[in-house]
Amino acid sequence: MSGRLFHSGRIAIVMVGLPARGKTHICVSMARYLQWLGVKTRIFHLGDYRRATVGEGGQVPQDYFYPNASPASVILRQKILKKCREDIYAWLNHENGQVAIYDAVNPTASGRRSLAKEFAKHDVQTLFIESYVDDEEILKENARNVKISSPDFHGMDPDEAASHYLQRIQTKIPVFETMEEESELNYVKMTNAGQRFFYNNVSFNYLSHRIVFYLTNLHVKFRTTFFVRAGNATEEDSFKADAPLCEEGRAYATKVCETLIAHREEERQERIARGGVDVPLRPLTVWTSTRLRTIETADPFKEKGFKVRQRSQMSQINPGVCERMSERVIRATWPDEVVKHELDPYHHRYPRAESYHDLAVRLEPIILELEGEQNDLLIIAHESVLRVLYGYLMHCSTRDIPKLKFPRDEIIEIIPAAYQNEAKRIHITGVDPKMVPGSPEDIRIPVPGSPGSSPMAGGLGSPAVPMDLPTTSRPPEKVVNTAKEMVADKVADED
Amino acid sequence: MAPKINGVGVSGEDTRICVVMVGLPARGKSFIAQKAQRYLKWLSVPAKTFNVGNYRRHDAPQPTAEFFDTTNAEGERTRRAAAEAAVADMLRWFKSGGVIGILDATNSTKERRKWVIDRVQSEGVDVLFVESKCDDEELIMANIRDVKTTSPDYKGQDPEKAALDFRERIRNYEKVYKSINADGDEDDLTYLKIMNVGKQVIINRIRDYLQSRIVYYLMNLHIRPRSVWLSRHGESMLNLEGRIGGDAGLSHRGEEYALKLPQLVLDSVGSDRPLTVWTSTLKRTISTARHLPKHYNQLQWKALDELDAGVCDGLTYQEINDIYPEDFQARDEDKYNYRYRGGESYRDVVIRLEPIIMELERSEDILIISHQAVIRCIYAYFMQKTQEESPWVPVPLHTLMKLTPRAYGTELQTYKANIQAVSTWRGKGSTARHEDPVPEGGL
Repeated sequence: MSGRLFHSGRIAIVMVGLPARGKTHICVSMARYLQWLGVKTRIFHLGDYRRATVGEGGQVPQDYFYPNASPASVILRQKILKKCREDIYAWLNHENGQVAIYDAVNPTASGRRSLAKEFAKHDVQTLFIESYVDDEEILKENARNVKISSPDFHGMDPDEAASHYLQRIQTKIPVFETMEEESELNYVKMTNAGQRFFYNNVSFNYLSHRIVFYLTNLHVKFRTTFFVRAGNATEEDSFKADAPLCEEGRAYATKVCETLIAHREEERQERIARGGVDVPLRPLTVWTSTRLRTIETADPFKEKGFKVRQRSQMSQINPGVCERMSERVIRATWPDEVVKHELDPYHHRYPRAESYHDLAVRLEPIILELEGEQNDLLIIAHESVLRVLYGYLMHCSTRDIPKLKFPRDEIIEIIPAAYQNEAKRIHITGVDPKMVPGSPEDIRIPVPGSPGSSPMAGGLGSPAVPMDLPTTSRPPEKVVNTAKEMVADKVADED
Repeated sequence: MAPKINGVGVSGEDTRICVVMVGLPARGKSFIAQKAQRYLKWLSVPAKTFNVGNYRRHDAPQPTAEFFDTTNAEGERTRRAAAEAAVADMLRWFKSGGVIGILDATNSTKERRKWVIDRVQSEGVDVLFVESKCDDEELIMANIRDVKTTSPDYKGQDPEKAALDFRERIRNYEKVYKSINADGDEDDLTYLKIMNVGKQVIINRIRDYLQSRIVYYLMNLHIRPRSVWLSRHGESMLNLEGRIGGDAGLSHRGEEYALKLPQLVLDSVGSDRPLTVWTSTLKRTISTARHLPKHYNQLQWKALDELDAGVCDGLTYQEINDIYPEDFQARDEDKYNYRYRGGESYRDVVIRLEPIIMELERSEDILIISHQAVIRCIYAYFMQKTQEESPWVPVPLHTLMKLTPRAYGTELQTYKANIQAVSTWRGKGSTARHEDPVPEGGL
């Protein structure tokens, strides 16, 4: 293997579009998806370089974006561009990067053409993605959402601030040529946040195609995803047995159902109390794997009339030869494999087993379907599957995904937000502490950073609560995600 | 039709979609319709094509080009009646459980498209237009010669004359043809427009996942000539014992096959153009591929691993029958849907192979070295085998298959390595270790 995935070579994704067109949202989502698929991806915001060059509090000259800018401005512009490109090449050439996402306005056709040529010289294929918006409502909404946090607009009516902001872009960047008839370039033009797509020559390799399909499914909709473990089964420690729920597991299933319904109702009441409109709850769909314990955990929902769908791709990670083996036996039988596993718990695959990366590839169609889903969604699955899906939605690093913990006494709620989803934990009361911790049928190999083999040890990226909290009256609680920092200064930036 | 233990695969349960083809004749509409239908049926989504031309042929079996002149009132009336009959049949079919109906006709005017929308949407069915637009005169004439002159419309006629008449027929359509949203007033429609065989594509207002799946599949299609080669791994040590699954190495004869495979492939390809080789992650396929030329790119896919037999992995059929007699019988009764305890069914394998099929459609020459059940599923996709047939298809060891997609279906050639191997085919109810496939219905 080349180290770069899918033998797809290196790709520069070049964003095109004026500010407030949702470019950053697209960049961040795409990076999250690609990184999760195991593709080494990095975003290069040109705005960061501009700020670094003009210094803290500095301003670029008024004519910086003008086509007939003064020589001084042109030189400054070229200097900033050069630094950014150099960093892109250095990352691709020396850090084994595969997809560089270049986030800038790229307003002219001639500029785009020469950019593609330059990348080609460095043996990098270019895919342009333009976000074009001519719908006033979407423009204003975008401007309201991200830009008006700027001190310039402090105390202004949001609508007014949005119009001011849009006007300012217009003055600052007077010339913008949308992509049309640039037939020699590979590009996707997305109009009005996904209402229409135009594709030109995008099918040049496997990765470009995945990117295109992902974009097609990406939509900004307010919709919640819930995760919960399946109840425990009569034959807990066997992957192959596919045992049904035990008595205790059935009681657990009922609790999950009651807790979630109560939680949704509570949120609705809160919304009304805050002065919101009393809109009916979004329909809830339940997805399970085809393993018996997950199907049976969904039974109380089914009885209440919720739609339950089975997804064969959501079966738990296959432990291969480690089936029913204790950690001691695994260490004795497969010492070399244990060493490899500890070095890279995400990619390592025990004989005949699946790695987490294998599982992610298997779950990829589920991710795309999840992006396209309009209803609220409850996913009942094995911990290994929840790890990978959560890892995608919350942008966890592949190092952390195998360590995520999903105790049985919690439902995780994922709420979409501008650049980074947020997670909340909903406590399920009265769950026997015995059945709370990690899955016993998991591969019982400790991963680096977790002392011993205790399933209680939480990893860094763990969504789980510290286990010493009193479990009786835990309120829903926000999980802050560090990946937000990636675009933290971008939010207030006006590019 | 509801499987006993499985989910319903990818189908969106409530959505019903009418896929309406749009485009001038000889733009590959029927090709697209036929492929989409095959793909959807393979995924267990009930899909059916309604070809308006077939309805029209009842009334006008061998019309001349003038029949298609829009000023010809009689022709116009007949064609309208055919469209109405096709749509009426489709709506009846939706009521009986259909999910995706494909209306294969030119639908080349705004009025006609409006009519279809009104007719279909009032029954609660979504409409997705799929237009194939092509200005490349050479491609068009090639399509006419390949496909149209053999159409029932021209049965028994001189091919050259038929081609000319057909070109004339197209001109009549060209007079009234309006590409979707060409005037900017069809922006509300959900559509996919494929221009010059996929070089440019527009998609507009795609609403749900099933629609985006169809669209994505169709975007992957291409018509560059190519073939797909399929081979099982060489005979394995477990094959010799009649045991299923496992991760064994090759037998002595299996090794011989691995050595002979490069020549077998070369003979079949007929030139030294390189193939891309896909194997599973199991030892026996990787070993089988290891003597192929260095300049063949090789990729391992977890999705190409053999059907997981769960608790039965490593057993012989006799042992399965002894230990799990009920399972053994249940599997024979419905082999496609039967899922091994803790393992997979054929249906599960098809779902996990779906991304492979997408990638296959997009790619050119590929050689796949995989396993019996997996090859059966891929074979079923290309050769349109039903779910009753596909799990029983004989796929002998030490045999290379070459599949070449043609306009209407797939051409199959097989190459025997002439190296002895056990048979791993099993007849219904049999627990034999090795048994020869029944002669009929073989490859």
